[in-house]
Amino acid sequence: MASSDANHAVWLRGIEKRFPGVIACAGADLRVRPGTIHALLGENGAGKTTMVNVLAGVYRPDGGEVWVNGQRRFFQSPADAIAAGVGMVYQEFRLVPTLTVAENIVLGAAPRVLRSAEIEERVAELSAAYGMAADPTRPVWQLSMGERQRVEILKALWRNASVLVMDEPTAVLTPGEAAELGAALRAMADDGRSIIYISHKLDQVVAFCDEATVLRQGKTVATVDDLQDVDLTVLAEMMVGSSEGGYVDRPPEIEAGPEVLSLQGVSALNDRGLPALTDIDMTVRSHEIVGIVGVSGNGQKELAEVINGLRRPTQGRVTVKQQDVTDMAPGDRYRLGLAYVPEDRLGVGLAPKMSVVDNAVVRSYRSQRRGLMLVMAKCVKFCQDLVERFGVRTGRLNDPIAGLSGGNLQRLLLGRELAEQPAVLVAAQPTRGLDVQGVAAIQSHLVAQRTEGVGVLLISEDLDELLALSDRLLVMYEGRVVTELAPDVTPRSVIGEAMAGQVRA
Amino acid sequence: MIRPVLARRERVLPAVQAFAFLVGIVVALALGLILLWTSGHNPAEVYERMFDSAFMGTDSLSRTLERATPLALTGLSVAVAGSMGLWNIGAEGQMMAGAIVATGVAMMADGLSGPLLIALMIVAGVAGGMVLMVGPALARSHLGVSEIITTLMLVYVAIRVVEWLETGPWKDPESFGFAVIEPVPEQAALPGLFGRANIGMLIALGLLIVFWLAVSRTAWGYELRLAGSSPNTARYAGVSLRRKILTALLLSGGIAGLAGAVQLTGSAARLESGLSNGYGFAGIIVAALALMRPSGVAVVAFVFGAVQVGGQSIQTLGVSSAISDILQAMILFGALVAAVFFNYRIRWTGPAADSSGDQSEEPEEPEPAEDAA
Repeated sequence: MASSDANHAVWLRGIEKRFPGVIACAGADLRVRPGTIHALLGENGAGKTTMVNVLAGVYRPDGGEVWVNGQRRFFQSPADAIAAGVGMVYQEFRLVPTLTVAENIVLGAAPRVLRSAEIEERVAELSAAYGMAADPTRPVWQLSMGERQRVEILKALWRNASVLVMDEPTAVLTPGEAAELGAALRAMADDGRSIIYISHKLDQVVAFCDEATVLRQGKTVATVDDLQDVDLTVLAEMMVGSSEGGYVDRPPEIEAGPEVLSLQGVSALNDRGLPALTDIDMTVRSHEIVGIVGVSGNGQKELAEVINGLRRPTQGRVTVKQQDVTDMAPGDRYRLGLAYVPEDRLGVGLAPKMSVVDNAVVRSYRSQRRGLMLVMAKCVKFCQDLVERFGVRTGRLNDPIAGLSGGNLQRLLLGRELAEQPAVLVAAQPTRGLDVQGVAAIQSHLVAQRTEGVGVLLISEDLDELLALSDRLLVMYEGRVVTELAPDVTPRSVIGEAMAGQVRA
Repeated sequence: MIRPVLARRERVLPAVQAFAFLVGIVVALALGLILLWTSGHNPAEVYERMFDSAFMGTDSLSRTLERATPLALTGLSVAVAGSMGLWNIGAEGQMMAGAIVATGVAMMADGLSGPLLIALMIVAGVAGGMVLMVGPALARSHLGVSEIITTLMLVYVAIRVVEWLETGPWKDPESFGFAVIEPVPEQAALPGLFGRANIGMLIALGLLIVFWLAVSRTAWGYELRLAGSSPNTARYAGVSLRRKILTALLLSGGIAGLAGAVQLTGSAARLESGLSNGYGFAGIIVAALALMRPSGVAVVAFVFGAVQVGGQSIQTLGVSSAISDILQAMILFGALVAAVFFNYRIRWTGPAADSSGDQSEEPEEPEPAEDAA
């Protein structure tokens, strides 16, 4: 069956998709020409991920048509979509850490007779063709995030993907790696493949992509045929429907108060038993936001865990309000005044399968008791207060929390942590993946906490955010704090060098 | 082009569960027709007898309840561990351990009055079940050793201990050479309610209610649910996973031990190697069908008990015990298959269904509609 207009690699036409209580797509369209890099833009919850999951055979649409390379398709499973030439690279990589690069690439699509040398050679050819260096014999657990992403892309190419979907590909990459990715994608497009590129980072979209589709509230609101003609602010306006800026204003100067958090000579190991933190000294005082700068994977995650009692330091001391908490359980640290918004919202901060109410009382359930019993009415009241105060949009409070959007999950999580006036707040990647309004809401909460006297330790991968909010910046590199910088007077180039381990004397 | 696929239900309703359960049993009974015909029996007569003997009249009902009591207790035992994501496969052995300790207490204290002795024996049963669970629980909580294997292995240890007691130290001197243990004292028999049902049934029912309340309405139960559903969140909240694993497993063992003591004082006259009679293993099926929920355990145990009573009764019609066992197995199998439809439903897909605007579902993972988490 040929289409009336064959000049597209992908045509998602009038896609409708409903989830319980949510309309993810309400007749959205997406057309991608062959040999182009097509940006799919929109806020969180605009329907981007749902659209590409329909294309990848993960979801079946409730309405609309899926066309790939001129043929109408009815995917019953991701396998069908792969067979039709659709390759998907998710944000969370789906690799087997103990297998080698080549083994991961051919897994599930291997020739009947496995000859390692031959497969490795073909993998090497494939990676050379698009300038994506990857040693086929190395086990995946040894690879950096950027290298793992290359393996995911090679996996799709091995399966002859003519359409490659990249979901937030640069979220885990260093700036250098991002540029390499852009070049590789361009080489694939020149080769006749089509790439659908989902991202929040508009500057990268403009640098990498040819055309764009903008989704808002499940509908296509704009298509751009040539991104070179478009202004960044126009694109941002299209996405949000208004031209609100991304970052809140720099907070007014306040004299920092007494020390509320300190680390003295702290070292710790990572999950693999290798040194993750080495001899860390730092303090956070009341009325200040201390930003942790660094390329991800330089010990930030372990730092947050050590402070909050989820990881044991091998040496050193942690104090909260001058009190030694090194051997204190996480719950007791919270009661002492240490609040924590972890990087993994679902799975650490929140229990995905439990209800909104159950998640709201994770910190305070002990105070919702009467005798042995948990007073449900008090729990529900507590939850409703949080939902109202922090503007969480939620369905039924007894439904599993996993149904909430990313921004609302984070509002609830942050609200819960702030409910009992902490002295210190450790916020790890608090705005990652949120839409513009969500980012603004979370950032203004952080600033407000600083004004009220909370000491905030902000761990973020977003340099603009750190520069806008922080009073002091600590740069982490390979598990050490390599330098302290003043955010308003330090040139970006100096910060960049420090992030790469080069500290000017 | 149109083919059926399993689609995950968005919300699991109790009514849907009950209906699926019933359909599963009816389908199994329909398949049983073939079995009965080919083995030369009149299916109508057989099914009528099964139904009558399990449900019609107080005597029938009391037999079903008598059977359901140990099933409810072992089912609860497995469900307690299951709510933490742990599998106690060895309730059969813990039942035996409970009965052993309870018998020991009865031998030492047979001068006591009935209620006191029964209370002591039940406490002893709980202790016995817990003792057999101490090893697996510690190994699981502190070393991460799979409780599935350790609990199962101890089943055979417990049964062998009973066989040894029967032939050795506890052999009844007045048994004319038979290897049996002295019956428990008369005053230790659980008071009857009606027919063959005794207050063991009320103990089971009471425990189910207590456990339901504890899990859904106490801070302890909240921590248990949190630890079972998202261990990292529990750690973050300051809940000790080790302690939760220990308490869940020890409770599970204790409840199974209690089942042993109730069986000893309620239905069996004496400790023997056949006392646990497969109830412990059946408890796994009961808990799984009940989705680890106490309310479900009560219902499933009752149906399971009825199937056993009905299955035995048809042997008086000349149906061989093998055919009866197969029939019972088929009914349970039907119910197990039906349990798939608690969480999934069949959807017919293909081009025709695509435009029908059918309800949404996701085949792979029930991901929320959310971009870039």
